[in-house]
Amino acid sequence: MSTARAPFAPWDRREIPGLFGVEESARRIGNYRWTEMRLFEALGGWVATVPELDVKMVLGRHCYQHAWHAELWTKRLPELREMNVERMTTPANDEMVAFMDAVSEPEAAELTIEKLVGVYRVLIPRTIAAYTYHMNGTSTITDSPTIRSLNFALQDEFDNWREGEMLIQSLLDSPEKVERAIRRQGELERLITAAGGIAGPDSIGTQPDLQEATI
Amino acid sequence: MKRHLNENELARDERFRRNRIEDQIFDPRNVAMSTRDLGPAQMSVDRPAVSERSRSLMHGIFVGEIQALEGAGRTCYDFDDADAPFALKLDMARQCWDESRHVEISCKLSDHMGTDIGEYGESAFLFAAACNPDPVMRLCGVNRALEGLAIDVFSSMKTFGESTEDPILTFCEDWMLADEVTHVKMGSDWLRRLTENDLDRRERALDFQRTVDKVFSLGGFRGESEENPIQITRKFRELAGFSQDECDELAAIAQQAMEDARTMVAAAAASQS
Repeated sequence: MSTARAPFAPWDRREIPGLFGVEESARRIGNYRWTEMRLFEALGGWVATVPELDVKMVLGRHCYQHAWHAELWTKRLPELREMNVERMTTPANDEMVAFMDAVSEPEAAELTIEKLVGVYRVLIPRTIAAYTYHMNGTSTITDSPTIRSLNFALQDEFDNWREGEMLIQSLLDSPEKVERAIRRQGELERLITAAGGIAGPDSIGTQPDLQEATI
Repeated sequence: MKRHLNENELARDERFRRNRIEDQIFDPRNVAMSTRDLGPAQMSVDRPAVSERSRSLMHGIFVGEIQALEGAGRTCYDFDDADAPFALKLDMARQCWDESRHVEISCKLSDHMGTDIGEYGESAFLFAAACNPDPVMRLCGVNRALEGLAIDVFSSMKTFGESTEDPILTFCEDWMLADEVTHVKMGSDWLRRLTENDLDRRERALDFQRTVDKVFSLGGFRGESEENPIQITRKFRELAGFSQDECDELAAIAQQAMEDARTMVAAAAASQS
């Protein structure tokens, strides 16, 4: 007979409590899926519209990675009692739709900076923020399949962020181009701020007021 | 960004030069070329100007991969979810990544063979097959016809790499060949799924594929005889979902394309004399 051991090893500090119930986790994942789908479609569409060969190839690679994230969420939703994946695949709000429309709007060949800034300086940082909040806040035991998928997605998001940022830096070779990048980022930041983030106003939690925080 | 680009809207840097397939086929120098006895047309080490021909073909592969990347990317964007289900777009996104790697590989191989980007012209007829507004037609044009041609080209280039004892060329072509078989199989599977309840649509799509296959046979560039530089590769096509009958039909289409081209060259020669 083997020696009886505690169900959790001493170093396993996972806990049951989490910020999100099943429905709230599913709602967020539906928002993530909607965002990843709009993103991979735009990246795929842009491939033919950018003249820079290195950018073209990176967009092709990233297109698949975001499609794969959408696939991760496609598989997770039914596990959260949401059998109709399409019904749950919605934008967080109308402001999020306006933001994604603006991100994917540039088409002309001379607008590579505008295309990249929208994705790599605004959308992906917001995606990383929302995924990180979800990962840090959800129950490490009951929602661990979501955490695993978030980890996979975040690895890609961080890599894409770095790669996209380096492409942008390599394109910003004049004060005029720097101005274009700043202007574009500002326009889109205003839109995503109105949306509250890719999962709506509670994308990275709500800031507790000062009185509550000091208690 | 609008949906549906045409081939004249593809973005390129200043190194690329666009030419038209009609100009290549109706090049008046073809008449003089047709009278020269150059021996077997397949690329081999003893073939005259084999270095030039293989570098030119490699550059053609490179620009073809760019267009295949662009075509797969546009399929992710051009259709709404009702016309193209998510699973199809996921496959196309995966193809984007594959084609992106192929562009990278082709760049390295061109450098390896001593060719600069833009040294040869670019014809956009491959992307033209990716412009069809019906996703089923587009799949037939891109995944079964264009990617099918890629199977034949990579297989022939791999054989050339083996005959010239070039391990880098052989290695790369073999890897790209594996991806292309996957892409053609994807096209075959989606054609069946999307037209399961609409056999008329399936037949129209296959008709479109026959048209594209004839264009892609390039008047004798591809076929099954010694006169064709690129050989139809039945083994890999069957792995990718082509039936024996479909391979036979493709061989007949290629043969017809070669005879049509000869007729045109003969007519051009008669008019010059």
